[in-house]
Amino acid sequence: MIPVMSLQNYLVVGAILFALGMIGFLARRNFIVMFLSAEMMLQGVAINLVAFARHRGNLQGQAFVLFILTVAACEAAIALALILTLYRSRRSLDVSIWQDLREAGQDATVDEEPLPPPPAEPSLPKLTPAGIEPKHPEEMSHV
Amino acid sequence: MVAFIWIGGEIISVESFLFCAFSALVIVSGVMLISQHNPVHAALSFAVVVLSTCGLFLLQAAPFLMAATAIIYAGAIVVTFLFVIMLAQQAGLSDADLRSREPFLATLAGFLVLGGLVYLIKQSFNTRELDALLNQAQAAAEKDSPAEMTRVLGSEDEFFLKVQRALEKISGSPEKVGLLNELLNTRASWNEWKGVNEREKMRNALALIAEQGAQVRDAAGTLRPHESQPLSEFSIPSAELAGRENLAPLGRSLFTDFLIPVELAGTLLLVATIGAIAITGRRGEARR
Repeated sequence: MIPVMSLQNYLVVGAILFALGMIGFLARRNFIVMFLSAEMMLQGVAINLVAFARHRGNLQGQAFVLFILTVAACEAAIALALILTLYRSRRSLDVSIWQDLREAGQDATVDEEPLPPPPAEPSLPKLTPAGIEPKHPEEMSHV
Repeated sequence: MVAFIWIGGEIISVESFLFCAFSALVIVSGVMLISQHNPVHAALSFAVVVLSTCGLFLLQAAPFLMAATAIIYAGAIVVTFLFVIMLAQQAGLSDADLRSREPFLATLAGFLVLGGLVYLIKQSFNTRELDALLNQAQAAAEKDSPAEMTRVLGSEDEFFLKVQRALEKISGSPEKVGLLNELLNTRASWNEWKGVNEREKMRNALALIAEQGAQVRDAAGTLRPHESQPLSEFSIPSAELAGRENLAPLGRSLFTDFLIPVELAGTLLLVATIGAIAITGRRGEARR
């Protein structure tokens, strides 16, 4: 089937990006990946705006995308500064560590998923301790 | 003007091919972003998302935005993110990267949002029903005798009702009101015309419905503002510039319609810079 190039195709791609970003923002724990997902949601919106600008022959949509770019740059600067500060105080990028910042009266979320097993120690070669050579069993067969 | 390429025995225009390629790349790397354990890989797939979005911008005649997005996002933001990841995660993967938080609920919410959006898009752009009815009206208008018209239309009363219902489902088209009035008038006088065999009037009415219906269908879902509140003229590129020049009309739009927002955006950038420095700067603490 030959896809028709039209407004709604771009709108659907924008919607998919937006939903993917939302899933990432809700499901990931790492601060940095959460912010990347939020930026991806902004990209989905930008695709929509540019598609409408093209469709209507009006550049207001593109001007809006420029403002999105500005706001995204500011957001990235502030977010990274905050992440660095948070990381300095607790040495971790996990959001659930900061649960005490939640609203008053809300229960803390408890992790039901168990921690992943710790990575296996790299297997080092075992060396025989130095010293007198131990007795070897005598060889049973002779040629 | 339009180039075509040959893929797997089918002819696809280059534009469609590029659209499919870029959007597939966007979606695949978006999924990679949210599913990679390693945040460095996530940041790199975000760069791929941004670059293929730039491709989509180029397809939509926005070359300046393509350049700006590539430079700001892929050039500055992703690099800064990578920098922070390197700074904060020198020990490698942490526990936060290996576990997700409520993955089932998050996915459910995401797919609910996506389903709602796609359903809305389908509702606003689906004109298949109206298309079929308009084709029927067009075919009937080309017949000679009222009997043949009736044969094409089926029951006329029911046909007009169906058109009316299909029109009511379509939104965002200001021409709809005129067409609905036309439809009601035709329906009221149809039997009278049929009785005295007014072929010309019947044919003209059907052709008018088909023509205006096509206009309504083309405008469906475009969210055109009402005639009484037209958009500013500054953002619409003049006829000789449209499609050839992007930057000059965009600049004109920015510095006429969006003059105050441009100033505000500049202020916002300044405030954000000061804020970022104030949040991270530790020199003051050391001195105290």
